[in-house]
Amino acid sequence: MKRIRTTQLVPGMRLAEDIFLPNTTVTLIAAGTELSIEMIRRIKSLGIESVGIDETKGDSKDETERRLIPILARNHERMITAVEKLIISSAEQPLEEEAVRSLAGDLLSQVEMDSSLLLNLTHIKAYDNYLFSHSVNVAILTLLVGEVLGYSKKELHELGTAALLHDLGMLSVPQEIWQKQGALSPAEQVEIRKHPVYGEELLRASGFSEEVIRVAREHHERYDGSGYPDGKREKEISFKARILAVTDVYDACISFRPYRDQMTPQQALDQLLSEKEKYDPVVLNAFISVMAIYPIGSFVVLNSGEVAKVIRVSKNSPFRPEVRIYFDREGNLLDQPPRINLAEEKNHTLYIDKTLPAEEHKRLAAVIDGAGPGLP
Amino acid sequence: MKADLINPFLAAAFDILERMGKTRAARGQLSLASSPVRGDEVNVAVGVTGDLLGQVIFCMAERTATQLASNMLMGLPVIALDELAKSAVSEFSNMVTGNAVGELGNRDIICSVTPPAIFVGKEVTVSAKDLSFLVIPLQTELGDVKIYIALREANG
Repeated sequence: MKRIRTTQLVPGMRLAEDIFLPNTTVTLIAAGTELSIEMIRRIKSLGIESVGIDETKGDSKDETERRLIPILARNHERMITAVEKLIISSAEQPLEEEAVRSLAGDLLSQVEMDSSLLLNLTHIKAYDNYLFSHSVNVAILTLLVGEVLGYSKKELHELGTAALLHDLGMLSVPQEIWQKQGALSPAEQVEIRKHPVYGEELLRASGFSEEVIRVAREHHERYDGSGYPDGKREKEISFKARILAVTDVYDACISFRPYRDQMTPQQALDQLLSEKEKYDPVVLNAFISVMAIYPIGSFVVLNSGEVAKVIRVSKNSPFRPEVRIYFDREGNLLDQPPRINLAEEKNHTLYIDKTLPAEEHKRLAAVIDGAGPGLP
Repeated sequence: MKADLINPFLAAAFDILERMGKTRAARGQLSLASSPVRGDEVNVAVGVTGDLLGQVIFCMAERTATQLASNMLMGLPVIALDELAKSAVSEFSNMVTGNAVGELGNRDIICSVTPPAIFVGKEVTVSAKDLSFLVIPLQTELGDVKIYIALREANG
């Protein structure tokens, strides 16, 4: 048990002792209760100065996630390596359609298992291996969007396969170009812009379905006709390629790229929406459902003044993610940051009042990492 | 219902409309309506429990609701009142009520908010047991939003 000043209480903390009405033996709130925002107001309004808080670490959900995350992360790693092997070997021999399909199938079953944790993984970025991790992450995001759009399992398989291979043509572009630090010369840009066509050729040579081939060729086309290689617009672009257009740009934005700063998920969403004419509105809508309004990793200010980090999103409650409250309203880091699901009935007095700007985001993440509780 | 209980709702509606709904708002003449009242095309009811008991209901035309949803969704094009748009309009109502309840809490009137329920369709009527509604008509750039408030003191 730890004594906490009432000004430092945040919703979700668990009482270690009964709270009595002042100067009586009447129990107001019993030990073991998880404090809500109203209870905290009540405690403050009674003039109580401090209360005992139960410090036993984490709830069972945290425990489960602590176990699950490393397993999922290893699977994710393995998936990236498998895609790398497949793609690299395609330089010597035709790609085996079955091998890619089975990878897409594996991804699909992981998406069905715990899509929220998987979404978390796509947001953990490494400096190296961009092409292959990008392929896997885009495939995951694309499958999640496909699910929201009501695709059948068979269609999702096709979609996942196409997503894994959408950038295959990059292999035909000299590596110095796509790994170049700094801006590309006009000639290099011309070369990069050929990768959808190279991809089409490679996939055709390996005998992939017309649908998969179209996605590779069309994923840089834009809804308003501003894309390449053909400047197709609206319905001229296959629907699957219109999905890829969104997930591909989003993942590129949140990744480390040599030529620009990595964006936060919020910045990447803002970026997409600032050019919304380039994307199919139906796809954008589904994508926002998947990512939610306050995407994973966002730092938000609750109406109670506390600062929390979004740790889990759900398409059923895009405005009400699960958060972990890290800072009290004075900005002090909490020893025992509670986890709150804003979608739960008892938490509806709380809401997200605003998101913090990206610079704040990086600073707060560093403060939390420095304290090192290592919570999911 | 006392005016000092209404003011937090009014202030909250102006604040949330401006920051989340991206629109200015003007208040029309307050009035009383006896229960039940007929809703508009889109209606969201939010419950209040604690020191005050009752409901706050937000009513608007569908066009207003889709526009409000689009603004709450960072400008995402909203073509119809789909699930995403409904959750945006529900969250708007939740925010206004939560904000007002927070302000009441600063005056030691401690309440909590129950999850919003959204009803679409002209035929909706809303009733509050034994209570009349205070009606706040708001004119916004997105269209009219009417807020019906029926609250009584729990120990009154």
